[in-house]
Formats: sequence, C-alpha cells, structure tokens
Amino acid sequence: MTKSFVLRSGERGHDVIYSDGSASSYVAGHPGSFIARESSFNFHQYQGGRPGFGTIRVFGDEVFNGAGCGYNMHPHHNFIICAFVLEGELTHINTAGRGMVDQLRQGDYYVFSAGSGGKHCELSISPENMNAIYLWLMPGQLYLPPSYHRAHFDIRTRRNRIVQLVGDADGALPVAQDLRVSRLVTDRAGRFTYTPRTPEHGVYVFVVDGGATVNEVALARRDSMGITGAGALALDVPDSSDVFFVETAMLDDARIRAWEKAHGADLID
Amino acid sequence: METPLTRWLCLGCGFSYDEALGLPEHGLPPGTRWTDVPDDWVCPDCGTPKSQFEMVEMGYADGGADLARIA
Ligand SMILES: [Zn+2]
Repeated sequence: MTKSFVLRSGERGHDVIYSDGSASSYVAGHPGSFIARESSFNFHQYQGGRPGFGTIRVFGDEVFNGAGCGYNMHPHHNFIICAFVLEGELTHINTAGRGMVDQLRQGDYYVFSAGSGGKHCELSISPENMNAIYLWLMPGQLYLPPSYHRAHFDIRTRRNRIVQLVGDADGALPVAQDLRVSRLVTDRAGRFTYTPRTPEHGVYVFVVDGGATVNEVALARRDSMGITGAGALALDVPDSSDVFFVETAMLDDARIRAWEKAHGADLID
Repeated sequence: METPLTRWLCLGCGFSYDEALGLPEHGLPPGTRWTDVPDDWVCPDCGTPKSQFEMVEMGYADGGADLARIA
C-alpha cells in the first residue's frame, strides 16, 4: 500500500539563531549575523513535527546571513551529515582522518560521517548569504571510522535528468547506509520517473526551486513529500525546477510510529 | 528472563549511550539501564535532554565497542 505525507514550506520548523546572546558560543561570527533554519523534521528546540523518515533525522534548509556566520567547532558521533550548497560559499572544517578545511560553492556537496567521533565547523565568511541543505542520517553501524568525501554537481551540464549524488551509482559519494540522494535540475517542462530500489524504500522529495507534481500532488517551492510503498514516482515539472530525492530504507522506529499514530490525519493514503 | 541491554542515540549530536558500557566517568556504572539514568541527565557532549535520545538497534563497527568504552 502506498502511503505518503505532504509538508508545505510554511509548515516546517522555523528557527533564527543569532551570533550574539546565549547561543553565541555556538554560532560563530559578528554580532548581527544569524542563521535562519527551516527544519522538515524535529530538530533541537523544534519538536512539533515528524521525528524523521526512514534513516533521515534532520533535513534542514539553512541560510547563513552576514559575514562570518556559521556554527563553531562542535563534536558529533555516529550521524552521517551531508551538506548541499545551493548559494554562496561554505567553509567546512572537520577532524576526520588527518582533518580537512574545505570550501564549497554552488553545486558542491559533502558527506561527513562522524562515526567514532569527529568535530566540524560550518562557516560563511563572505558577506554573501550562504544557503545549504543539511541532511543528518542514522548510520548502519555505531562507531564507524570517521570519513569525509566531497563532490560537485554541475548544474549547467547535468540538466533534465535525475542524477544520483550520494549512494551506490558510478560517481556518487559513498555512504554507509541503505540510502540514495538524487537531484533533478530542469530548464524545460517534462515528465520524469523516479524508481526506488524497492517499493519498501521510502522517498522524500523536496522542491528547492520551481515546482513539481509528484504522483498527482502539486508541490511548490520548498514543499516536500514522503512516499513509501510506491514502485515508481511520476513527476511532472513545469519548466525551471530543482528537486531533491532522498531514498531511504524504512526503519521500524518507535518514535516515528508513535507520532504517526497521534497525527493520523496528516497522512494521505 | 532479563530484557536485553539497549543502546540510545542523542538526536542533538549522535552521542551514543550503551547500557552495557554505562558512563563510569559520569557516575553511571556499566549495566546502568536507561530507565535508571536520571530524568534531568543531559548529553555530556551537547546538553540535549534525555527525552531527545532515540533507542537504536545497531551493532558496532569493527573495533567500535572498544572505542565506545573509552569515549
Ligand atoms: Zn548530544
């Protein structure tokens, strides 16, 4: 049976984190700079939404506003953290292996697996705003060796087809989880099909820009939808659009089940 | 029969609490059940409250359990 939910842009959790005040030791930068974070799932203070989807625990649409804005160096374990830069420039520092200072621009993305322990710092140094999608995933195992991989998605040459960014395809970044992240950037109207590995896999579809009709549900900019039990997803895209797909194994998760039971009306069967 | 030992993951940072290992440095001896961890206990790495940990059914990567013991 196909099950799905729709999350409209404005229904996401909204946080503004200033770099002065009580959180200043956590948020880098000049007074007056701030992070605006739209969370598709529960995260930190925002606990009103769905706790996750499959292995996804965080899907954050974040804008770093102002020069020197970001998160100071802080520790993680276990989570696999991915960032996909949409606009601006992200300086990323981490302690995986010998450590890494990286700069990512539009189309660049990374997969940082914190595993047995690692720290990272996320910064936008220039005055230009930085917008990135942050994805946190449950790993397949605890205490994996920490790792960092990065790649580039060329928005100009890879148009009008669904391209796998993270997963098991040629050229995709590897991930220690039953998971695939793909992206579709279009400059003309078209119909596309997304086929998950099995119908048991869930697919979270997020419209970054433009719009898309997914299995007859119309999604506008920053709207999203989760689907399980579907053999294939049919997408109609009007013209210029940018769509992310996160395909994930569905864990039998007590927190998510309890939330779904309490919010049964939010599910469309 | 005793219920199997469980593992919990902090949703703020990914820190894992393993009942088998406890956190001896934080006053929780090995074998301390999650229900016996005080309600006002917070993640030692990021301060996330106990209520925002999730039980996980996950094994350790090769050598991971030894690293977790000294974490
Ligand atoms: Zn934590």
